[in-house]
Amino acid sequence: MGQVDFKNLRKSFGSTNIIDGLNLEIHNSEFLVLLGPSGCGKSTTLRLLAGLESVSSGTISIDGCDVTELEPRDRDIAMVFQNYALYPTMTVEQNIGFGLKAKKMSPKLIKEKVNEVADLLGLTHLLNRKPNALSGGQQQRVAIGRAIVRKPKVFLFDEPLSNLDANLRLEMRAEIMKLHRELGATTIFVTHDQEEAMAMADRIVIMDKGLIEQVGTPTEIYFQPKTRMVAGFIGNPSMNFMKGEISKNSELKLPIGNIKVNTILNLGQHIDVGIRPEKIKLADPKRKPNENIVRVMVTNIELLGPRAIVKMEHESGQVLTSVVDHDEIGKYELGTNISISLASNALHIFPKIKD
Amino acid sequence: MIVSFENRLSRFLGTTAIFIAIILVLFPFLWIFLESIKPPSLGGRPDIWRFEPSWENWHEIVFNSNVPLNILNSFFIALITVVISLICGAPAAYAFSRFRGFQGARYSILAAEMMPPAILILPLFLLLYKLELIDSRVGVITAHLTFVVPVVAWFLIGFFDEVPKDLEDQAMIDGYTRFQAFYKVILPAVRPGLAAAGIFGFVLSWNDLFYSLLLTGAESRTLPVAIAGFWTFRGIELGKMAVAILIAVIPVLILSYSIQKHLIRGIGGSGVKY
Amino acid sequence: MHIKYKLILPLVFLLSGIMLYPFIFSLWLSLQDYRLTRINDVQFVGFENFGFIATDQSFLNAMGNTISFVASAVIIELIFGLSLALLIQKLLIFRGFVRSILLAPMFITPIAVGLMFRFLLNSEIGIIPFYLLRFGVSLDWFGPELALFSIVLIDVWQWTPFMLLMFLAGLEALPKTPFEAARVDGAGRWLTFSSITLPMLRPVIVVALIIRALDAFKVFEYVFAITRGGPGNSTETIMYYIYQTGFRFFRMGEAAAASILLIIFILVFVILIVYLSRPKVIK
Repeated sequence: MGQVDFKNLRKSFGSTNIIDGLNLEIHNSEFLVLLGPSGCGKSTTLRLLAGLESVSSGTISIDGCDVTELEPRDRDIAMVFQNYALYPTMTVEQNIGFGLKAKKMSPKLIKEKVNEVADLLGLTHLLNRKPNALSGGQQQRVAIGRAIVRKPKVFLFDEPLSNLDANLRLEMRAEIMKLHRELGATTIFVTHDQEEAMAMADRIVIMDKGLIEQVGTPTEIYFQPKTRMVAGFIGNPSMNFMKGEISKNSELKLPIGNIKVNTILNLGQHIDVGIRPEKIKLADPKRKPNENIVRVMVTNIELLGPRAIVKMEHESGQVLTSVVDHDEIGKYELGTNISISLASNALHIFPKIKD
Repeated sequence: MIVSFENRLSRFLGTTAIFIAIILVLFPFLWIFLESIKPPSLGGRPDIWRFEPSWENWHEIVFNSNVPLNILNSFFIALITVVISLICGAPAAYAFSRFRGFQGARYSILAAEMMPPAILILPLFLLLYKLELIDSRVGVITAHLTFVVPVVAWFLIGFFDEVPKDLEDQAMIDGYTRFQAFYKVILPAVRPGLAAAGIFGFVLSWNDLFYSLLLTGAESRTLPVAIAGFWTFRGIELGKMAVAILIAVIPVLILSYSIQKHLIRGIGGSGVKY
Repeated sequence: MHIKYKLILPLVFLLSGIMLYPFIFSLWLSLQDYRLTRINDVQFVGFENFGFIATDQSFLNAMGNTISFVASAVIIELIFGLSLALLIQKLLIFRGFVRSILLAPMFITPIAVGLMFRFLLNSEIGIIPFYLLRFGVSLDWFGPELALFSIVLIDVWQWTPFMLLMFLAGLEALPKTPFEAARVDGAGRWLTFSSITLPMLRPVIVVALIIRALDAFKVFEYVFAITRGGPGNSTETIMYYIYQTGFRFFRMGEAAAASILLIIFILVFVILIVYLSRPKVIK
C-alpha cells in the first residue's frame, strides 16, 4: 500500500506562499515525478510529505490516515536527499542500518537486512568504508540502500541524480526504475530535469509558483500541454511561440500571416500559438490542404551530431526554431530564404489570461 | 503544530537552564558595580542592597590614584604590541596561507602560541635585567610579543585562506608584482581580519598579569598589576577595587563584542572545520 | 630569494629574538646553578637541577594540584559548554543576545575575575557565603578542603564560554541534511545526539579540549589573586611554583628546569590526547 493524498495544502514563509492550495492524489505503487523550475515548490511539497516542514494549512494523508501532524518517523516513509545526507562518521553498514537501529531492532537482524540490501545494490565489498571514501555513485547507492532497507510505504527522492555526471546519471536512473519495479512501493521523485522526468515517470506533476500546472503521463504532458507554462517548459529545444489574436472566420492572425484553424475561441481574443520545433518542416512541393507555407530566412545552424537546430526569421521579425535530421541539413543554407510548412494540427493555442 | 508534552517540558527546562546561566554570568558584574557606587563607609556589607549611590570611589580612583597612569601604560603597551604583531604577522600569515612548503611552519606558530610563559619569563627577565630594561614599557612589549605575535599570525592565516587565489592572480595579470598584489589587493580584502586579529591581540596584552607583574615597576605598571595590588581587604579599599576592576573589564568587553563573529575563525585558524 | 621567504623574514627574526633565543637560554639555564642573589657566581651543574626538582616534594605537589585542576576544570567546562551550546542552538528568539551575554566572561582580565570571586566568596564580606548561611550552609570556600575546588569553579566561570564559542561554531558548521535524514530514519533525540551530533563534532571537541587544557596548565592569576598557593600549599600550581622558585627564592636554574619538565609533560599530554581521540579503525 502507499496511497498519498494532498488536500488544499498550503505552505507559507511569512507572507510568501511557497505552496498555494495543492490537491493531488498519488496512487499506490505509482512512480510520480514532481517537475518544475527551481523555486516552484516541488522540493517543499516533498519535505512537507516527509514531515521535515510543517504545513500552514491543509492535510496530508497516507493510505487514508491523516499524517499532517505526525513526526517523520511515524509516517512510514524514506527519503533520498540531493546530497545523499550520509552520516559522515558512520560506515556504510552503520549508515544503512541506522533506521533499523532507531526502531530498536536486534543487531543480528539488522546485519541480516543490511547484507540483503547491500547485495541487491552491489555494496557488499564497501560495507566497512566511510562515506568520504566512496565515489558519488556509490554514495548514491548507500543513500538508496538506507531508504529501501526500511521497506517504507512511500519513497521520496529529492533531486537525487543532480550531483552525478551524465553517464552515471543514466545508470542510476535505470537502477532506480528497476528497484521500483521490483519493490513496487509508491515513489515520489523530485527533479528539474525534464528528460529524467519523461524517462522515469508513470505520471508527471508540473508545478510552477506553488501551483500544479498539469498532471499527466509523459505522453500527455508532451503532446497535450494544458497551459502555456507546461508547453514552454517541456521540450528541448523549447516550443516556438507567436503572439496573435482570433480574427473573423476563426482564423489566427499571426505575425507570419493568417492561419485557418478550428477553434471555439471568440473573435478578438488574444492568444499565444505554439509549435514544436520538430513540427516545422520544409514545404513539400506537392502541397497538402492542412499546411501553411511561410517564407523565412535561415539565420543560424547549430550542428548537434544526429540532428541540427536551425534558427530562422520571418520578415515580420518573428523567430522560429526547427530541429532537422542530419541527412536533411544540406537543404538549409545560411542566409538563404526557404519555404517551411506549419501543420495546423500541430499548433497549440493558449488563450491569454488578462490580469 | 501540536507540541507534545515531552517537547514542551524539555523546552521549559532548557530555557530555565539558560536563564540560570545568564544570572550566574551577570550577577558578579552587578554586585561589583553596586559595590563601586556604595559609599565607602558601607563597603563590604553583603546585607546592604539599598543605599544612596555615591561616586566617591570613582572620583578617588580617577583623580587621586595611579590608575589613570596604569591605564595609559596598558593601552600604550597593548597598542604597540599589536602594531608590531600585525606588521610582522600579516606578511608571514599570507605566505603560510599561499605557498607550498609551510605546513610545518603553520604548526610551529601554533606551538609558539602554546608555549608556557614559565619557560620564557626567566631568560626574558635576565636579558631585560642586563639591558636595564626592567620597569620599562619596552620590556613589557617584548614579553607581550611572545604570545601576541603567534596568536595574530595564526588568526590571520585563517582569513587569508578564505581570500580566493584568483584575486592576486588577477592583480598580477593586471601588471602588479606579487608583493604589490599582496598589499594593494589582498590586505584590503582581509581588513576585517586584521581588525579582529588586532583587537584580539590587544585584549590579550591588556589582560596579561604574569609578565607585567615581573617586568614592571612603579613607572610602567599596567592595570592588571595595579588591580592585583588591591589585595588588602579593608572595607574602605573594596569600593576602589570594584572601580578598578570595572575599568579593566569594560573596554575589553566592548572591544571583544565587536569581533565576536570573527573569533571562531581566528582561534580555530581554519582547523575547526569538519 | 623567493618572495615567500621575504614575506616571513620579519616574523622569523622577531620570533628568533623573543622566543627561540630565550628558549635556548632556558635550556642552558636549567643546567646551571644560577641564582639572582649570586649572579656573578654561576656554575655548570649538569642535570642536578632536574634531579632536585624531580624529587622536590613541593614540585610534585604543585604538579599534582595542576593536574587535578586541569582535569576537573576542563571536563566540567566541556560538559557545560556543550550543553549550553545545544540549548542555545535550539533557542528560537534572543539567540544572539543570549550568546553575547554568556560569552562575556572569557574576555575579562583573569586577575579581575580572581579578585571579584575572592570578594564574592569571602567568608566575612562575601555575598554568596552570606546568603548560603541563611540557608544553613556554611562553607569556607578558600579553606584547606575547598580552595582548589573554588579555583576550579572560577576557571569554569571564566572559560566555559570558550567551550561554548567553539561548540556553537562547530554545531553551526555541521551539514543539516544528515539530521533531516535521521528524522526520516526515525531516530529519537538521544540516538541522534549520540550517533550523529557527537561523532561529527569530535574534531571540534578535540581542538577545544587541547586549547583549553594547555591554557589551564598556565593557571596563575586566580592563585595569585586569591590564595597565593595556600592554605598550606593546597593550591600551589606549577606556574605559581616556578614563579616562587625563580622570583621569590631567586633560584633561576631550578625554575628553568621545572619549566622544561612542564613543557615535556604538556607535549606528552597533547600527543596522548591526539592519539586517544583519533578516529577508530574499523576492523
